[in-house]
Amino acid sequence: MRKGNLWFIPSLLLIGAMLLYPAVRTFALSFYRMDLATSFHPDFAGLSNFARLVLDSRFHASLRMTTLFTATTVCIEFAAGLALALCVDEWVRGRNVVRTILLVPWTLPTAVIAVLWAWMFNDQYGILNALLLRTGILQSPVSWLGDPTAAFWALVIADVWKTTPFVFLILLAGLQGIPHDLYEAIEIDGGGPWVKFRRITWPFLARFVFVALVFRIIQAFSVFDLVYVMTGGGPGGTTETLSMYAYQTMMRYLDFGYASALSTATVVILALTAAVLYWLLLRRHEDLA
Amino acid sequence: MFSTSRPAKILGLLALSALLAASFAISRSARHTELTVLMEPDGTGVWRGIIAGFNDAHPETPVRLVEGPPSTDTREDLYSTAFLAGRGGYDIVYCDVVWVPKFAAAGWLLDLTDRLSPAARIDFLPADIEGGSYDGRLYRIPAFTDAGLLYYRSDLVRAPETFDDLARDAAEYKTGDRAGYLWQGKQYEGLITNYLEILWGFGGDWISSDRRVLLDSPEAVQALRFLQSSIETISPRGVVTYSEEETRNLFQSGRGVFLRNWFYVWPLLGREGSAVQGKAAFVPMVRAAAGKHAAALGGWGFSISRFSSNEDAAWEFVEFATRPEQLMQLYSKAGRIPARKSLVPQEFQEIVRNATPRPRIPEYAKASDILQRWLSAALAGLVSPEEAIRNAARETRAVLGG
Repeated sequence: MRKGNLWFIPSLLLIGAMLLYPAVRTFALSFYRMDLATSFHPDFAGLSNFARLVLDSRFHASLRMTTLFTATTVCIEFAAGLALALCVDEWVRGRNVVRTILLVPWTLPTAVIAVLWAWMFNDQYGILNALLLRTGILQSPVSWLGDPTAAFWALVIADVWKTTPFVFLILLAGLQGIPHDLYEAIEIDGGGPWVKFRRITWPFLARFVFVALVFRIIQAFSVFDLVYVMTGGGPGGTTETLSMYAYQTMMRYLDFGYASALSTATVVILALTAAVLYWLLLRRHEDLA
Repeated sequence: MFSTSRPAKILGLLALSALLAASFAISRSARHTELTVLMEPDGTGVWRGIIAGFNDAHPETPVRLVEGPPSTDTREDLYSTAFLAGRGGYDIVYCDVVWVPKFAAAGWLLDLTDRLSPAARIDFLPADIEGGSYDGRLYRIPAFTDAGLLYYRSDLVRAPETFDDLARDAAEYKTGDRAGYLWQGKQYEGLITNYLEILWGFGGDWISSDRRVLLDSPEAVQALRFLQSSIETISPRGVVTYSEEETRNLFQSGRGVFLRNWFYVWPLLGREGSAVQGKAAFVPMVRAAAGKHAAALGGWGFSISRFSSNEDAAWEFVEFATRPEQLMQLYSKAGRIPARKSLVPQEFQEIVRNATPRPRIPEYAKASDILQRWLSAALAGLVSPEEAIRNAARETRAVLGG
């Protein structure tokens, strides 16, 4: 072994202890029954936890909610982040200032933001109702977080506000790495803006798009704090996400086997999504990557 | 640029490791005698005072207060995590009445039945002793009790007795800026206590003491329909997103005729700056002809962790902290109602007598979540009250296996 490689050992140990061990143990536990009834002794249960998943309507509902939330927020964040990045990329003076300001929402802790948005959506004290009532758009206050559809969109708005800057930052980094003489070459050949985007920008950006999307999908799919604080999963459990359900099962019901199965299912779904994304975005541009 | 010689570096490193080793040694030796307890943030300082009093008398086994997050659920999770890790966690458990069955069934709490003499036991409120018991054994010594009650604007309405009184007066005295009836309709544990008080008021019940599900009854549907029909008639639409503090703020600023809440609201309503100072009073929750004035029992007490290495010292603290002198301090400084019969102030006696514990089953969290979700779904108009009650009863039966 080269001497330099020795320096990897501490970080490998750390990753092993903090990431690998818990992940492997969670995966293993999902094949066991371990709860109050077994006095927390793991009893091998084969695939019974996964059989329970198939029939569990609460799992289906939270999976549907989580998927819908992920798809909606990531699409909006990607579109908004790309638009912002393209604008700011053109901007020469004051770019750093604009970039810093745009990053502020992303740097704030999610729980704090969730409390903030919950107050803005409050039906009596909230600024949203105050504005809509004063301008006459609404006749009576709306209980934003008390209605399933409105609560879903309230969560989407809060999440988009918070994490669009992340997508923006990654895409901007990608844009700034594109050599400008390539664009000039296209101009000489008489290509318009669309050709430029299609031939230069997109192929260069694809790797960054992949990174931004994978990170965002993973984060959105495991969303917990925002929903936990803003709606607590309500009304009627309609906004409960997978990680909230897994958390409740683990910490409140003390059902470790089933909670592990829920987490394992989440990881499998995410891994498949990332594989599909890779195939869609990067396979064709591998020669460029 | 600084440059440090090699011997100096080694010396520094040695000194650092010696310091580290020393600090470990100190904390290890401290761990043998120090007792820890996790509580809510001690805003009034009353617990710090009580603990200081104990530590003065017991310098060899001092208690260290760990001020945790204000959220009850989060502290429940912190205790669960500590128990799962085994030794080295908290010695004394500052315990909510609803935690007892789960923690006791998991084998995490010490059986205190034989430590509390019958003579000492007799002064504690029976409901609080019952709430601290599981399977006939006592696991928690109550400190202060809590119960749901109905506040009303005494300058506007007379004390209500029945659901009809409440609905009628709320409708008559509500205005564009003043809600008739404020309650907690968010999907959380508070919704359960609101619903149970009304369910008991109609003469129904949720889960019997022998684990039978009694929920699918006409009374259960009636109770849910009462809450549902209050929305947009006498309660604001947003009531389905409120927990205690939102409703307390509205009532305290004069924007409510009736308010269902806990004891803690009472001293706040009479405080300087309150818009309803001298204009508010309270009664036990209203009832129907067939039901009773019901209150959901809340309240906190002390248990001892089975993993504590110093059970006897921990018990000394629990015994000390629940003595009348300490509970009176808790009342005068923090407005907490002592869980001792002899100390309950006259005006709260009737409500305290009516207080009933929630079902004492280890699966309580799960049963509560099922009911919360279906109640909330009905209140949001996603399902009818009949369907919600039917589904909740069915799912609860599946959990309790009966």
